Amino acid sequence: MTLMDQSAFITAQKVKAGERSAVEVLESALERIAVVDGRPGSLDYGELTDEDKAKVHAFITLTADRARQQAEAVDAKVRAGEAVGPLAGVPLSVKDIFTVKGMPSTAASRILATFTAPYTATAVQRLEAAGAINLGKVNLDEFTYGSSSESSAFQPSPRNPWDTSRVPGGSSGGSTASVAAGEALLSLGTDTAGSIRQPAAFCGVVGVKPTYGRVSRYGLIAFGSSLDCPGPVAANVRDAALMLGAMAGADPHDSTAAKVPVPDYLASLEQGVQGMRIGLSPDYMKITFPDAETGELVEQDLPEEIKAATLHAAEVLARLGAEIVEDVPMPHTAYGIPAYFVISRVEAASNLHRYDGVKYGYRTQSDYHDLNEMYRKTRAEGFGLQPKLRILMGMYVSAAQYAEQYYARALRVRSLLRSDFDAAFDPAGAYKLDALLTPTTPTTAFKMADVYGDSVLMQYADQLTVPANHAGIPGLSLPGGIASDGLPIGVQFLAPDFAEETLFRAGQAFETATAAEAWRKIKPEVLR
Amino acid sequence: MTEYEVIIGLETHIQLNTTTKIFCACKADSWEDEPNTNICPVCTGLPGVLPVLNEAAVEKGALLAAAMHSEIRLTSFFDRKNYFYPDLPKGYQISQFDLALGKGGYLDLPMPDGSVRRVNIEKMHLEEDAGKTKYEHGVRYVDFNRCGVPLVEMVTGPDLRSADEAAQYLIRLRQLLRWIGISEANMEKGHLRCDANVSIRTVGSTVLNTKTEIKNVNSIEAVRAAILKEVERQIEVVESGGRVEAWTLDWDDAKGKLTKMRSKETEADYRYFREPDLLPLELTEAWREGVIASLPELPLARRARFRREFDLPEYDADILTSDRPISDYYEAAVSAYGGDPKVVSNWIMNEVLRMQNDLGVSADELVLKPQDLAEAIRLVEAGMINNATAKSLLVKVQESGKSPVRIVEEEGLAQVSDDSALQAAIDKILAANPDEVASYRGGKEGLFGWFMGQVMRETRGKADPKASRELLQKALRGEG
Repeated sequence: MTLMDQSAFITAQKVKAGERSAVEVLESALERIAVVDGRPGSLDYGELTDEDKAKVHAFITLTADRARQQAEAVDAKVRAGEAVGPLAGVPLSVKDIFTVKGMPSTAASRILATFTAPYTATAVQRLEAAGAINLGKVNLDEFTYGSSSESSAFQPSPRNPWDTSRVPGGSSGGSTASVAAGEALLSLGTDTAGSIRQPAAFCGVVGVKPTYGRVSRYGLIAFGSSLDCPGPVAANVRDAALMLGAMAGADPHDSTAAKVPVPDYLASLEQGVQGMRIGLSPDYMKITFPDAETGELVEQDLPEEIKAATLHAAEVLARLGAEIVEDVPMPHTAYGIPAYFVISRVEAASNLHRYDGVKYGYRTQSDYHDLNEMYRKTRAEGFGLQPKLRILMGMYVSAAQYAEQYYARALRVRSLLRSDFDAAFDPAGAYKLDALLTPTTPTTAFKMADVYGDSVLMQYADQLTVPANHAGIPGLSLPGGIASDGLPIGVQFLAPDFAEETLFRAGQAFETATAAEAWRKIKPEVLR
Repeated sequence: MTEYEVIIGLETHIQLNTTTKIFCACKADSWEDEPNTNICPVCTGLPGVLPVLNEAAVEKGALLAAAMHSEIRLTSFFDRKNYFYPDLPKGYQISQFDLALGKGGYLDLPMPDGSVRRVNIEKMHLEEDAGKTKYEHGVRYVDFNRCGVPLVEMVTGPDLRSADEAAQYLIRLRQLLRWIGISEANMEKGHLRCDANVSIRTVGSTVLNTKTEIKNVNSIEAVRAAILKEVERQIEVVESGGRVEAWTLDWDDAKGKLTKMRSKETEADYRYFREPDLLPLELTEAWREGVIASLPELPLARRARFRREFDLPEYDADILTSDRPISDYYEAAVSAYGGDPKVVSNWIMNEVLRMQNDLGVSADELVLKPQDLAEAIRLVEAGMINNATAKSLLVKVQESGKSPVRIVEEEGLAQVSDDSALQAAIDKILAANPDEVASYRGGKEGLFGWFMGQVMRETRGKADPKASRELLQKALRGEG
């Protein structure tokens, strides 16, 4: 047991009280990183050794000196009796898709490998202002485009701390791996289709996709601007609530950041689920995907263990007084991925326009004769496979002659997905749900390289998480059990707009009630 | 010989005179500033930045929409116009597309024959400007200062029928923009930019033939000259059996030449889609009514009122509504004077406009206030000073800031109509010029004017001309 096995909440309490110094906590984090992380991701990585394959590789950029200065500043304040924030001394890792002034901000892409941001993202700035100690940047899929973190230009890519032959999920795989391995107590991730919740499920940690607009996107290098949500990754529900409270709220730099007051999430955390109406939907107990040969949509039931974890959670909540509402229809769930494929790629292609070799980042080193050749070579050499695929797809479906057929249609599907949730949560409707309970992912963490390369199949890892992004509603994934393969299973709560309190209350109730269950005692492989 | 009708539509970009840019807090006006000095992460499109809409740009855009009789949409949207160019740091321009701030509208142009040409507005939207590039010694330089400067793009229908009408549209638009105070509208500084779409057809036809687009016409004279040149070219093409092609042409003002930039057979696909980083622009009915209510009386309306209310000739009414300060100046002077408005018009058109031009200021910046002008005119009418004195008096008011009456008192400028003083001066002149007196008396009566000049010189211009003439005539006849 080290300082990194304690919760962020307790750590901040102790640092504030002067029982622990922030520097001590930081040293403990750096020690853990030194033991489990292995070499950081880089562009020139060479062959992977057996030792590499046994490490986590969460980080791209570790900024230990900057972190020490922050920790010393927190300690100095505590000693001087000055107020420190709610995250005082808590080691934090930041997905390398956020800008931090003076730090490389790579988006895990060659095209931004040399880019150092001149400004700090709002979410990071608020977390640091709350006293969090920023350890540095963690790895992800290139520009967040993926569900395994393998597409990073910075290799070795992160590995699952529960089994390093498996992916941590993605795209916030560095974030969830760093928290699961106890390298950081909190991590800042982003969720565009499930990029926080899916890797949280794979790594056995808590991940929250807040309501769209709950957390400012300023400084988040955009993927799908209408879908992107910064959110917390934490070891437990309380820490996630603590972290969200510290970074949520309106921002003059982001007009899509909602001007909705931020409640005290900790204050309501222990209120339990008595009387809460929690729904189960058959549409979340299967996945629907196109057959690789015929293109026909095929339905497949989820593995029994995955379904069982969700039903177990429902039973626990029912025992605690929640009313479980079964058979809630969510009829458009199956169309979430196809619609997402179109919308996110149109936005992504446009968002990637700015990486043109003119202003910052990578510019081709080979000869060019005119501007267009410079653009072509820069983008051909700077972008990896995923950005290129997404540009092609995005350009295609937004072209004048196809936009109505694809983009406009996808937007209509998006509205239908939203209407599923509106009907389920309608206080005057048939179901009156406070939250929907679902599995987070269709499977546990897959083997490295098993799915990578099949962009379509990879995308279906997000089928149960993407509806919340379309609808803009908040979702939370937390550990719900351990499968027979020894890997964590995640369960997900979904709630109406700005009802994060409901998610935290339900999550906390389940977490507390299952604290004594056997699977809770199992540790990730790298910590055994 | 076939007669041709010219069909012109103008696409204008109007730079709004906001303090800051449309999506960030950088200074909007970078005239004569060093390159890349008014920039920030937002307007240079760094990774992760987001636009935040400047409300002042919306207000000014809405004011223009109201002045153009456009409908101000209560809900409009921003869209991304995607294309690559080094001066466009995000690789897309934030603009408005199908549901823009303004819908429809028109500008009525008074024609020399007294008729009115109604020019319809087909598109009016807010957008951000791009930067500038220049090519020098084999290196391409980019200046992002202009990135994010707020623009209104306004496109007319194919409603103009000659180069003169196109010029007239720009003159009236420029007047309107300055009048409502939303743009400096200086074409040389790029505050008002214009592209012209030109086609021809035989008189009597109603089809719209293939048009060409002339870019880079940056003065009203250039618009006129470029259109004339292009019409000439198109007629030549048609007359020689050819077909006008959809070219984009560049106007070289120095050489007075059009050169082909590119063929425009297919429209570029900008893949417009809603800008997800900005919320829909929602305005309230009350806000919209407030904008419309704040609109001042517009120049053409005021011009008509001046003719009606003050009985001014069209020429005077036009000049006295050429800009808002001179127009306000005139009304204030008429009201302070209380007499014939045409008299005030004469004084302003002769004296005040000259003074304004000499000093390079607008009427509201003159030290000489409308009340001063009215006071000076009253002094003339009362016979206190003559016209010549009044003219120099106005200059003295402008230079000193003192009132006309005070200057007349301090400097003793009041006319000398005292007979004995005038008589003394005349006696002195006659005594000093015996030869001229003899000539006059010998029949050279044309010398009378010369004697009057001598009287004015002797009295330093203060002599009452009427009294002087009578006394001089008597003296020359030997009656004095």
